[in-house]
Amino acid sequence: MRVEYINPFVESAYSVIREVLNVEVKRGELYLKSSSIPVLGVAAIVGLAGDVEGRVLFDMSRESALNVANDMLKSMDMDQIDSLNDMGRATITELANMITGQAVTKLHNLGFKFDLTPPAIFTGDNMEVSDPGVEALIVPMEIPQGKIEINVAIRERT
Amino acid sequence: MKAKQDFPAINEREQIGLKAPGEPYRVLIVDDSMFVTKQISQILSSEGFEVVGTAADGDEGVEKYKELFPNVDLVTMDITMPTMDGVTALEKIIEFDKNACVVMISALGKQDLVKKSLLMGAKNYIVKPLDRKKVLERIVMSLNA
Repeated sequence: MRVEYINPFVESAYSVIREVLNVEVKRGELYLKSSSIPVLGVAAIVGLAGDVEGRVLFDMSRESALNVANDMLKSMDMDQIDSLNDMGRATITELANMITGQAVTKLHNLGFKFDLTPPAIFTGDNMEVSDPGVEALIVPMEIPQGKIEINVAIRERT
Repeated sequence: MKAKQDFPAINEREQIGLKAPGEPYRVLIVDDSMFVTKQISQILSSEGFEVVGTAADGDEGVEKYKELFPNVDLVTMDITMPTMDGVTALEKIIEFDKNACVVMISALGKQDLVKKSLLMGAKNYIVKPLDRKKVLERIVMSLNA
């Protein structure tokens, strides 16, 4: 996978999380995975299609997702939630949507033309994700609300 | 004891969501995210706007606009949505009412998409993340355009 694809996602994740949650973001070491990868419990996914195809997964534990959702809701003076209900899931998918949207905009300005799909969210225990034929690059991020792993798998269309 | 209404209203800030005293701007929010719908609705309601309808995709947005017309002053339109995207919905709304005040709100800020929307008749284009000030400024600008 070309590194040009990754940086916009990392930069956008940084700036959106900082702006929306008003916290400092600590980045862990990036790593590549070609086999299946465990998913932490809550995974928001946004699909990419155009010159390139693939998907971006925002993966976090249920507890971190709840913390992130509540902080986003609080920043907008909205009611807090005590479990990851419909509003909680909508909040997490919106975070994924904002980060991916900003990254796609940056990539578009660099000449890569593709679009994104409406986000979806999966929750469950012991989930795994695998993308046959594509390596996924994982960008771990630490914020006070918990850990978020951004998992990007993109390939050029042939 | 004096009740709040006994004090002169001279210091009260005028709400920007009113087109005339007691007459709010009526808004239709088209967005597939419950979070964003609530977020926009909360920002606008706090300034006196009245949210008269919401829709979760472009198709529903166009239908709701036609139902509400002419009792709707403003549409906020998401772009990435299932069934029908916001740019197609914008086109259909403008086809139906060329004076419609539609403001695009999206996480995507791609130049050609912004340009296309504005050429099609959108009054403004707000790129997320949203904040109160940005949303209100752009919307007021669009209503006064």
